[in-house]
Amino acid sequence: MKRSRTIPLAAAGAVAALGLAACGSAVKTPTPSRVAYNAGNTSVVNPSAHKGGTIIFDNSSVPDSTDPGDTYYANMWNMARLYGRSLMTFKSCPGKCGLQLVPDLATAPGQVGANGLTWTYHIKPNIKFENGRTVTTTDIKYAVERTYAKDVLPNGPSYFALLLTDPKYPGPYKDKTPGKLGLKSVDTPNATTIVFHLRKPFSDFDYVVSLPQTVPVPPARDTGANYQLHPVSTGPYKFRSYTLDKQFTLVRNPKWDPATDSNRVQLADKIVVNLNVNADTIDSNLIHSFANIDMAGTGVQAAARAQILSSPSLRQNADAAPSGFLWFTYINSKVKPLDNVHCRRAVEYAADKVAYQTAYGGPVAGGSIASTVLPPNIVGHQKFDLYEATTKPHGDIAKAKQELAACGHPSGFTTSMAFRSDRPKEKATATAEQQALSKVGIKVTLQGYPSGKYFTNFAGVPTFVHQHDLGLDIGGWAADWPDGYGFLYYLTAGEAISPAGNTNIGELNDPVVNKLFAKAVATTDTAARNQIWSQIDRQVMSDAVILPGVYAKSLLYRNPNLTNVFVHLYYGMYDYASLGRK
Amino acid sequence: MIRFIVRRLIVTVFLLLVVSMITFGIFFLIPRLAGQNSYQLASQYVGRNPTPSAIHAIEQKLGFNEPLVVQYGRFAKGIVLGAHYNAGPDKTYCPPPCFGYSFRNQQPVWPMMMSDVPVTASLAFGAALLWLVGGTAIGVLSALRCGSVFDRAAMGIALAGVSLPIFFTGLIALELFSFKWPIFPDLQYVSLTQNPYLWARNLALPWTTLAFLYAALYARLTRAGMLETMSEDYIRTARAKGLPERNVIVKHGLRAALTPIVTIFGLDLGLLLGGAVLTEFTFSLHGLGLFTVLAIQNSDLPEILGVVMLAAFFVVIANLIVDILYAVVDPRVRY
Repeated sequence: MKRSRTIPLAAAGAVAALGLAACGSAVKTPTPSRVAYNAGNTSVVNPSAHKGGTIIFDNSSVPDSTDPGDTYYANMWNMARLYGRSLMTFKSCPGKCGLQLVPDLATAPGQVGANGLTWTYHIKPNIKFENGRTVTTTDIKYAVERTYAKDVLPNGPSYFALLLTDPKYPGPYKDKTPGKLGLKSVDTPNATTIVFHLRKPFSDFDYVVSLPQTVPVPPARDTGANYQLHPVSTGPYKFRSYTLDKQFTLVRNPKWDPATDSNRVQLADKIVVNLNVNADTIDSNLIHSFANIDMAGTGVQAAARAQILSSPSLRQNADAAPSGFLWFTYINSKVKPLDNVHCRRAVEYAADKVAYQTAYGGPVAGGSIASTVLPPNIVGHQKFDLYEATTKPHGDIAKAKQELAACGHPSGFTTSMAFRSDRPKEKATATAEQQALSKVGIKVTLQGYPSGKYFTNFAGVPTFVHQHDLGLDIGGWAADWPDGYGFLYYLTAGEAISPAGNTNIGELNDPVVNKLFAKAVATTDTAARNQIWSQIDRQVMSDAVILPGVYAKSLLYRNPNLTNVFVHLYYGMYDYASLGRK
Repeated sequence: MIRFIVRRLIVTVFLLLVVSMITFGIFFLIPRLAGQNSYQLASQYVGRNPTPSAIHAIEQKLGFNEPLVVQYGRFAKGIVLGAHYNAGPDKTYCPPPCFGYSFRNQQPVWPMMMSDVPVTASLAFGAALLWLVGGTAIGVLSALRCGSVFDRAAMGIALAGVSLPIFFTGLIALELFSFKWPIFPDLQYVSLTQNPYLWARNLALPWTTLAFLYAALYARLTRAGMLETMSEDYIRTARAKGLPERNVIVKHGLRAALTPIVTIFGLDLGLLLGGAVLTEFTFSLHGLGLFTVLAIQNSDLPEILGVVMLAAFFVVIANLIVDILYAVVDPRVRY
């Protein structure tokens, strides 16, 4: 993905100032950086140690949950860092620096046992909850236990149940053990040590413990489904009030010790989050400074986009930020005739990538044309282009026809394409690709389905896909963590195919890919592992089960009243834990 | 009259029962008839990439694996007797009328709806007052000055009001009066009890936008009614008897023309109390309309059921009040 190079000097200065901007008590008077378009992608804009004021977030939707253990929204993972600290976290800094995993509650990354099956963490001894009680590893173990209670906390990831040795643990609410700490796969030999026992080696485990699900929860204060109304804070802010679906307010947490935290600041006095605000109103609120930041972090609406890009004074406060999403089309390997790899490759060649990009908003607001499954912001990404996506972006008709001949359908074939009917960009993409594929005789029937049930009832149900001849299915993906496993596993691993809610819609069950995944998760050497992710990417593209469309970007508006603003590459939006107010 | 009201209230209960059954059927029976099983239903309410055991846990908790009659029975029982709900460490009691717990945020539906009612009521009553007074007055004046410049201008504006959708007029109003000329800046609902001035100031734009649409309708209705009434024989008789023109217009003309206005006003107000979806969405007002949008977006059946029943209740009660008002407006009506 290309990033603006208009501000290298400002960026360099601001990157140097970053440590202070993002370093809690270490915040000193920084060197000012220049305000410019895309400055936030590579530098800290408006660096300042000024304290006070209120930061107003607007959100056009509502969080799935504000409970760190029960959320799967990227913006909530970003926001939750304000009131919760996990074992590991991503470094607060702009650019690729933000993809570095660093200890948060932990004193160091996990120590892996000799067999790769145990991961041990030691936590800082002087971390306090907002009520003054010292955090112990028991609180972290309890937080992990809560992730098993899917009947009460259904939203968050399920990695612990998948990776740890006792997958059938019922969760703490059904746990009959005294103290409700019966999860045998997690040991807490003392108050500052926690040991995780894995079923099989998993070298990405440091990423897993960076999820907000390891934010400690004091068992006595756990209110289950109601915990979202007031999660007990370990971060720089704590909840003062929360009216569901309307607003929540955070205020300073005096028990947070900046000396223990180099990734957060406590500059503003208060943080107000307004929920369910009309999306266009949010943009106007940002431009007119009635609000400071759009919490969703997915970019401004079409009207504001045009206004911002056409006005130099507004444009200088905007960043076309890599969102971390890949927009793409699954090519199903079980639906005839796409069960033949040459037919799938014909689709790859024939597709019009420019039309794809245009449908998603063009190069500025939509993103760059993609030629790989792994986006550039993922560790392990290597650039390659098997199907001339970037060299012949309107499609290569001649090669598409060669592939069609090789698959036994020289004059083309018919299939159907699924898309989410309530997403105009997907509808536009489907229409554009229908036209592009018709040039080589591939006749596509479009089938729109509601997004809320897309994965559970339609495109994510293999039997439905087969019955309805859905050879092509539009989708989008962002990683749970920024490496190959986090991005590729659920899209392409044979084990990830499931009867409903399936995300490997291409139904790829390639032994080569599966073996590479197994090899990667057992490889502790990071460089070697990153090479494997690229190999998997190449193999998946060779299998042609994914037609990459766009490495997505979002046009974010940076309200000038904010300080220490930069795009955090992991979240694909501004770093909420570093912000201050002028 | 009292017997009439009691009879109507009994009918209301049955009506709400039927409405709840139909809504329940639409959201539960139809997906099953379309081949969706309880596992698929449950998978909508779990996060990304759920494990099968996670889906089964939700399936069991929400009762999707039970017969539909049992599920409906539990819902109906909750409304009358309340229900217990597994919130994790404890079982919490949801007192009647318990419309269940939201699938989305696992909070009881009834208190959430009730917290939104003041917003919708403030919006609906304020706008209703504006459009009733404004629309009727313009309609009467237009009828009395039929064919005049005022009449043509008023009806032209009325046509615009009817034609322009609220999300358009609302956004224009916001852009002009909240951002370009910040007469009503930073609009957020403030309760009447908290600050009456801010309550009125922050609702002025939504009221006006909503009233613009409805006033246009009412002006055209009133004008048509007045034109018809004012050409009646009894109006000529009233004038011949020497009644002052004001009395002729207000007591005889307008009163007769009001009957259809009152009917439609009852329906409109009742519907609005169930949620002014577009206005609330445009102005980010957290009322029942926005609540409904969220409920539908998330396929949150308890929330949908709750809001449908509440809206039905408002419509039925508004109609009851209209029927009572008939007796006041038209002396010929007796119950």
